[in-house]
Amino acid sequence: MRTNRIRRAKDRALGIVGLLAGCLILFPVFYGVMGAFKSPAEFIAYPPTVFSKSFGYFKNFETVFTQVPMLRYFLNSLIVAGMSTAVRLALAVLAAYAFVFYRFRGRKLLFFLLLGTMMIPADTLTITNYQTVSHLRLLDTYLGMGIVFFVGASQMFMLRQHFMAAPTSVREAALLDGCGDGRFILSILVPMSGPLLTTLFLQSFITVWNAYLWPLLVTNGNDMRTVQVGVTMLTTIEGTNYETVLAGATVAMLPAIALFLIMRRYLSRAMSGGALIT
Amino acid sequence: MSMYVGGKAGRGAKRLERAKPYLFLLPMIVFAVGFVYYPFLKTALQSFSNVNFRGETTGFSGLENYRYLFSRREFGIAVRNTLKLTLINVPVTLALTLLMAWLGSRRRFLGPVYETMFALPMVISMSAITLVFKVLLNPSVGFVNYALGLRIGWYEDRHTAMSGILLLTVWMGLGFNFLLFQSAFKAIPDDLLGSARLEGAGPVRILLQIQLPLISPTILYVLCTNMIQAMMTSGPILILTQGGPSRSTITMIYLMYTSGYSSSNYSLAAAVSMIAFLMTLLFTLLLFLMEKRRVHYQ
Amino acid sequence: MKKLIALLLTAALLLSLTALAEDQTTRITLWHSMSEEAGALMEGYVRQFNDTIGREQGIVVEAVYQGAYTDAVAKMNSVLTVKQFDMLPDVMQLDATGKVSYAAAETAYTVDAALTDHPEADLSTLLKPAMANWQLSGVQLGLPFATSTTVTYYNKTALDQAGASAPETLADIGALAGLAQDGVTVYASIPNTPTLANWLGQLGSDLVDRHNGTEGTATKLDCLDNGALLAFLTEWKALYQTGALVNQNGSSDEFVAGRQLIMTSSSSSVTSLLSRIGGAFELGVAAYPRVNETASAGATVSGSCVVMFDHGDARKNAAWAFVQYLTGAEVQADFARGTGYLPSNSAAADSDTWRALIGEYPQYELGLTQLIQTPDTMRSVTVGPAADFYYGIINDISDMLEQDLSPEETVELMADDLNGMLSQYLRANP
Repeated sequence: MRTNRIRRAKDRALGIVGLLAGCLILFPVFYGVMGAFKSPAEFIAYPPTVFSKSFGYFKNFETVFTQVPMLRYFLNSLIVAGMSTAVRLALAVLAAYAFVFYRFRGRKLLFFLLLGTMMIPADTLTITNYQTVSHLRLLDTYLGMGIVFFVGASQMFMLRQHFMAAPTSVREAALLDGCGDGRFILSILVPMSGPLLTTLFLQSFITVWNAYLWPLLVTNGNDMRTVQVGVTMLTTIEGTNYETVLAGATVAMLPAIALFLIMRRYLSRAMSGGALIT
Repeated sequence: MSMYVGGKAGRGAKRLERAKPYLFLLPMIVFAVGFVYYPFLKTALQSFSNVNFRGETTGFSGLENYRYLFSRREFGIAVRNTLKLTLINVPVTLALTLLMAWLGSRRRFLGPVYETMFALPMVISMSAITLVFKVLLNPSVGFVNYALGLRIGWYEDRHTAMSGILLLTVWMGLGFNFLLFQSAFKAIPDDLLGSARLEGAGPVRILLQIQLPLISPTILYVLCTNMIQAMMTSGPILILTQGGPSRSTITMIYLMYTSGYSSSNYSLAAAVSMIAFLMTLLFTLLLFLMEKRRVHYQ
Repeated sequence: MKKLIALLLTAALLLSLTALAEDQTTRITLWHSMSEEAGALMEGYVRQFNDTIGREQGIVVEAVYQGAYTDAVAKMNSVLTVKQFDMLPDVMQLDATGKVSYAAAETAYTVDAALTDHPEADLSTLLKPAMANWQLSGVQLGLPFATSTTVTYYNKTALDQAGASAPETLADIGALAGLAQDGVTVYASIPNTPTLANWLGQLGSDLVDRHNGTEGTATKLDCLDNGALLAFLTEWKALYQTGALVNQNGSSDEFVAGRQLIMTSSSSSVTSLLSRIGGAFELGVAAYPRVNETASAGATVSGSCVVMFDHGDARKNAAWAFVQYLTGAEVQADFARGTGYLPSNSAAADSDTWRALIGEYPQYELGLTQLIQTPDTMRSVTVGPAADFYYGIINDISDMLEQDLSPEETVELMADDLNGMLSQYLRANP
C-alpha cells in the first residue's frame, strides 16, 4: 500500500518535472507566436512581455499575407515537400528492400555508396547542382525544386534496419504464395512499416518544407517561391519590424506544428512498436 | 529462393532474379550519383583548380588554393569554432535528449503531454526559430535579458555569440533525437527491466547497466548524425551573426559561403568544403571504431 | 509518380502556351530587391508604368522580387555561368556587389550601348556622383535608382540637454564620452568596406588601387604607403579609448530607444527612423563625421542602380523606356518621399513633392547636400571578393580594439589579409 503511494507520488513528481521541461523547451515557440500578435508599440515597450496584451491584433498577419502572396507560397511548399518526400521514401523503400532481401555482388559497396551521401554536406553542392538542374531545363519547376531531395540515405538506412527485423520466413511464405516483389512490398512490407514510414515522411517533409537556399536559387518567378523564402522577404536590412517578422515565422511554423499534432497519433504507435530502433 | 520457377523460362527468370536487386537500387543510385557524387567530384576537382567568378574552371592550380586557405587566419578560427561547436553541441544534446527520453520511456502522469512537447522542436524550421531567437535574445526588446536581469548583447558580443548559437543549435536538435531515444528505450523488453528490479537494482543502475548498453546502436546513430550536422552549422550564423563579432562565430561552412559563394571565389569554397568533408569523415570513422569496441548489438 | 510528372508537365506546357498566346505586347521582366514599403512602392511604379506609358507603347512589365541584392546577384551569376541568357530579366536592380559580373555579362545592355541606339536621350539631369558610381572602366553600366549616402544621425534632444552640438569629427564624438552612462552608449560602429573607403577618401586616399577598382580589377590596397590607413586607425583607436565608441555595429533599435546617441547609417533610413522615434526625441542629421580636422567632408554614394539585358530589339527598347521612367523626376521624387532615398534626378529635387517634404522634415535634405559637396575623386569600392573583403575589414578593425593591437600592427594585419584576398582573386580571374 505504502510503496504504492510513494510510487504514485514519484510518478506525479516526475510528470510535473517533464511538463515544466516541456514548457521551457517550447517557450521560444510560444514567445514567437505571441510576439506575432503584438503591436509595434507593445514590442518596443520596456519591460518586454511574453503575452500579447492586444491579443486579437491581426495586423501583422495582414501585412504578411498582403505584402507577399503567402497562400500561393504555401501551395508551392506543399507540392514540393509532398512530391519530393514521396519520391524519396519510394526510392528508399526499394533500396532497403534490395539490401535486406537479396544477396548480390557489390551489395556492401553499393550500400556504403548510398550511405556515403550522408557524409557530403549538401551546401557544398549547390552551385554544381544548380548547373545540372538548369541544363535539364528544370529551373522554375516543382521537379527542379524537389529533385535534389530525392536521395534520402538516412531514411534508407532506417528502413533497412526495420526490414531486417521482419522474419525472412514471412517473405518466403509470401513468395511461395506467388506474391511478387511489388506486391510483397506494397501489401506486406509497407503496411508493416506504417508507423516508421509516417515518421520518416514527417521528418523528410519538414526538411524540404524548411529548405531555404535551394528553392530561392532555382526559382525565378514570384509564383514559384516557397514559404521559407517568402518569410525572409518580410525582413529588411534594417530588420526592425520584429512583430511582422515573428508573424511570418509563425505562419511558417504553424502548418508544420499542425501536421505534427495530427500525425502524433501515428508517431506514438511508431514509438510503442519500437519502430525506430536503429 | 526461386525454387518454384522451373522449365524453359528458368534461365531468363534466373537472370531477371539476379538483376532485380540492381533494378531496385537503380533509381536511388542514379540520383545519388547525379546530385551528390558528380557535384562532389566536381567540387574536389575545383579545389585544385582556378575557378573564375562565374564558376568556370580556367586552369589547374595544384595545391595553391589549400596553401592560401591555410595561410588565412579565418580558416584556423573557423576550424576551432566548428570543433568547439561540435564538441559542445553533440554531448549536450545527447545528455539532454537521453534524459528527456528516459522521462518519456515509461507511461507516466502527464506523459503524453510532455512527450509531445519534447518532440515538437523537430518540426520547427531553422529560419523561423532563428528569427525568434534573434528577437528573444535581442538586448533591447528581447525577453531573456529582462527575465534573467542581464544586459548581454548575446549575438553582438564576441564572448557570448557562440553560446547564443549553441543554445539555438542544441534546441533545434532536441525533437528528433528525443524521438529516436524514446523509441529505443521503449523497445527494451519489459521483463528484462522487471527482473533487474526484482534483483533490487535501482533506476540508475538499470539505466547504466541495462538500458544504455541496449540502446547503444541508437546512441551511435545519433552521435554520428549530430556530429555531421554540427560540423556543417551555417544557417543560423548566416542569419544571426555573419561570423562576427570579431570572427567569434565563423564556422567552416560559413567561411565557404562568404569566402566562396558571396565572394565568387569558388575554388576556395571547394577547398574549404573538402577539408570540412575530410574532418567529418575522420570523426565518423573514429565513432565507428568506438562502435566496434563498445556498442552492444542484441 | 508517373501521373504526377505527367500532370506537372502538362501544367508547365499550359503555362507556356498561355504565355505564347499573348503576342503584340512586349513583355519584359524586372528583378528588384525592394521589400516592405519600398517594395510596395516599386510594385506601384510598375503598375503605373503599365497603365500609362506601357499601354501607349504596348509594353507590359512584370516585377519579380529576387531577395536581397546579394541573393539577386548570386542568381545572376549562376545564370551567367550556365549561359542561359534567356533566364535573365530585361531590367535588374543591382547594387555595387554585382557591378563586376554584370560588366562581364555577354548580354549586358549597358547605358552606353543604349545611348548609341537612342542618341536623343537626355541624362543630364541625373545626379553626377550617382551616375559616376555606376561606371566601371569608363562604361556607364546602369542608371541610379535608389541613391543614398552615409550620414550621422544623432539624438538632438539628448545632445542639446548636454549642451553639445552636432559632432563633425571623430574627435567631436570622443568629446561626448561623458554622456555614456549605464545603459546609454554614445556611438557604436565597426568600419566596413564603404565606410572605411569614406574615411580614407576624406584623407585623399583610395582604399584599393585602380581608383577603388572602378578602372579595372583592384590588385592591392592603396592606402598603405600614403599613411592614410594608419592615420584613420590611429584616430579610431583614440576614439575607442575615450569610451565613446562601442565596438559593435550600430543598432537602430538602440538608437530609437534612446540608448545610443549617435549612429552613422544610410540616408535612406530617415523615413523609418522618423516614424519609429515618433515624438520621443528630436532626430538630428549631420554630415558623415570627418576623420580629423584636416580631412575633407563627404561620403560616397551607396544604393543601387537599374541595369538592362539584351533580349532583342523590341525588348531592349521597352527596357530602355522603363529604365528612364524609373529614374525620371516623378518616380524619383515619390520614391524619395516614401523611403528616404535621395532623388537621383535633379529634376526630382526641384519638384514640389521634394520641396514640400524637406519643408516639413529638414532631416531629408542633408544627404543630398552632402552628396553634392563630396569631391568626385571619392569613389565607392569595387572588389572581386566583395563579401570576404567586407568582413575582413570589420574583423581586423575589431581585433585592433578587442585585442588591443597597435594601429601599426593592424595596418600590417590588414595589408596581409586584404592583399591576400585580392591576389587570390586575381589568380583565378586573370
